[in-house]
Amino acid sequence: MSSDALTRRFFLQGSGSLAGSALMRAGIPAFAAVSQAACTAKEESAAYENITNAEAREIIALAARILPTTDTPGATEAGAVYFFDKAFGTFFADMAGPARGMLANFQSGIAAAFPGAQVFSDLSESDQDTYLKNNERSPFFFGLRFLTLAGVFGMSMYGGNRDNIGWKLVGMDGPPHAWVPPFGYYDAEYMAAAQGEQKDGN
Amino acid sequence: MAIENRVTYPLDEAVDFVIIGSGSAGGILAKELSVNGFQVVVLEQGPFRTAKDFTHDDLSVFIFGELDGGGNQVHQQTFRQDESEVATVTQQAPARYAQTVGGSSVHYTGNFWRLREVDFNERSLLGPISGTNFADWPISYAELEPYYTRVDWEIGLSGAPGPNDSFRSKPFPLPPFPIKSSGVLMERGAKKLGLHAQPEPHAILSGPLNGRPACISCGFCMGFGCEVNAKSSTLAAMIPDAIASGNCEIRAECAVFRIDTDDKGRADEVFYIDPDGNERSQKAKAVILSANGAETPRLLLNSASAQHPDGLANSSGFVGRNLMYNSHGAVRSVFEEQLNDYKGVQVSRIVHDFYESDPARGFYGGGGIDARPFMAAAPLLFSLAGGRPGGPSWGADFKANLEHDFTRSMFLFGSGTSIAQDRNNVTIDPTHKDRWGRPSLRITYRDHDDDIALAHFLQDRAADIAEAAGATHVWKQPVEHQSSGPHLLGTCRMGDDPASSVIDKYHRSHDVPNLFLCDGSSMVTSGRGQPTMTISALAFRASEHIIAAARNNEI
Repeated sequence: MSSDALTRRFFLQGSGSLAGSALMRAGIPAFAAVSQAACTAKEESAAYENITNAEAREIIALAARILPTTDTPGATEAGAVYFFDKAFGTFFADMAGPARGMLANFQSGIAAAFPGAQVFSDLSESDQDTYLKNNERSPFFFGLRFLTLAGVFGMSMYGGNRDNIGWKLVGMDGPPHAWVPPFGYYDAEYMAAAQGEQKDGN
Repeated sequence: MAIENRVTYPLDEAVDFVIIGSGSAGGILAKELSVNGFQVVVLEQGPFRTAKDFTHDDLSVFIFGELDGGGNQVHQQTFRQDESEVATVTQQAPARYAQTVGGSSVHYTGNFWRLREVDFNERSLLGPISGTNFADWPISYAELEPYYTRVDWEIGLSGAPGPNDSFRSKPFPLPPFPIKSSGVLMERGAKKLGLHAQPEPHAILSGPLNGRPACISCGFCMGFGCEVNAKSSTLAAMIPDAIASGNCEIRAECAVFRIDTDDKGRADEVFYIDPDGNERSQKAKAVILSANGAETPRLLLNSASAQHPDGLANSSGFVGRNLMYNSHGAVRSVFEEQLNDYKGVQVSRIVHDFYESDPARGFYGGGGIDARPFMAAAPLLFSLAGGRPGGPSWGADFKANLEHDFTRSMFLFGSGTSIAQDRNNVTIDPTHKDRWGRPSLRITYRDHDDDIALAHFLQDRAADIAEAAGATHVWKQPVEHQSSGPHLLGTCRMGDDPASSVIDKYHRSHDVPNLFLCDGSSMVTSGRGQPTMTISALAFRASEHIIAAARNNEI
């Protein structure tokens, strides 16, 4: 990968909070740390194993601001919360405690800013965006964004990306991932033109 | 893979060769020596994965570093720009490589450019560059050409010659991959600018070859292992034959920490940590070090002894010096229609019009530009890092951009020369240790001003191409001094003069007659940004000379 600044930036931002997990020390496939029984995207009604219902409600509300439901599905429909649930029981188990602390800290400012509200999910979407924006440089926000995106776009065996919603969202076909060209508009056009020339030549 | 004829050698009886590292060079040397009847023990610090172990799991591969042995918190490599600074453990490893049997050939993208004649004698052509170790190679393109051809046919390449390529003695064994949308756009832009887009040569099979199958165009090449063995890693192309010879033992998850010499100054024993954490050692008649351009000098420096106080094979002081990452400048672009470039190999077209150094530009250096999806090959990677520069990173507009851009993105990568300098080097960190307890790799690196100028130049040309191709958006990624790289070159260079090189032109250490070094560290100049083809050709060439020397009792 000759990727310089892009990957550097990504990894600098992306792997900082993952450092030191047991998984990384072992260098083993991430899914090996996830129990076989749970290796599928969760149904909407499934119970949580590692987070409380109250925590799940907040995570769902938060993840929905990172990747909202618009005219297309978002983090909620993809079941990103189940990725959080699985992560905190497996490969990010050692981060569950700090994450709870950060969530509590994040929530602690809400009542003062929005009288009548106690927690993030109490707020209107507009107020949620305002409050989140004020926190978007915090480690909490970084972790939230990372886990949400991993919960939407990571493989469904990690609990999220239900029915491959994340992949469909960005226009990725499959699985399975195996294709024959033409793959896109421009190579199809090119191929058609080449075939046309061949016919003309005949 | 069906592996027959497994052999196990006793530790206390000297085998003909211990090879440290099983990657692009080590894998080739292991095969060549073992099928020619020599006893070979390969020590590889990573596990023995095979095709069935490789997945499309971007979380595991990109975030957890599954194939890299975990992140830099595990490796504890340190980095600094200048020797006046205290190096620190960075979040991304300064030396990025795979830890697995087959080494980085398992996870590479498979872009396989030959060097040209000019890469070998550019110092003579252009004259010296003040304050650098810019030098000619002791070999020419003509001397290496037969071995490039062996790589084509035995490792397995797909491609077609470009208009300015150096001569080749035999055609590619397989045709190039079909042009992708990114290739069409690059070709369109290049044509308007009077440039030439040519097919990318790949170490990936466009059709069946040597009993291996064609690529299925899954798109998970860059950073991933290939689940069908169509990628021409040494794991797929060399290691099976090495094992089948009945002469080669692959010892995976064995991390070498020292090479010892006997009282005659010959390498005779290699010490390592076995998979259970025990210290072991293997006796050897000769040792080949192919651990990559960072780990090879590190091991030599960590093997310092009373006989070799500055490190093994280091009487010149050149072990670890002259590290070259290759220069890089990138452009990102978005087009109106869908490219769907996540399908298939990364690159289908390259522009090599700027390969030669041109004094009129005002700096030394040259390179190539390729068109590829880069992170738009994997949705997770794209979502994390593919937001529009300066654009939103969350919310409805961010989501809309992801939905639009993933299938419509093209990245153009300029890759080119780095200049060899004393100041850019691999040394041993005085305080940190890796997970095996080995003193850590410390990298000191700051791109030469000409390397930075080249990165800007290639980036500007890439932006011209994207604009000429009709991109709706073009962004230049900031060019910064590099602090990490997968190309690790020049740190034990070959040369005729023992005072200014570490190995001779046959890869034999000037100091230790039965110690050979062969990997990116052997390279005298960096080439134009895709070094693995050359590392592989050097390995075929080295193996031929090592076999001849062994048969003549000259080791």
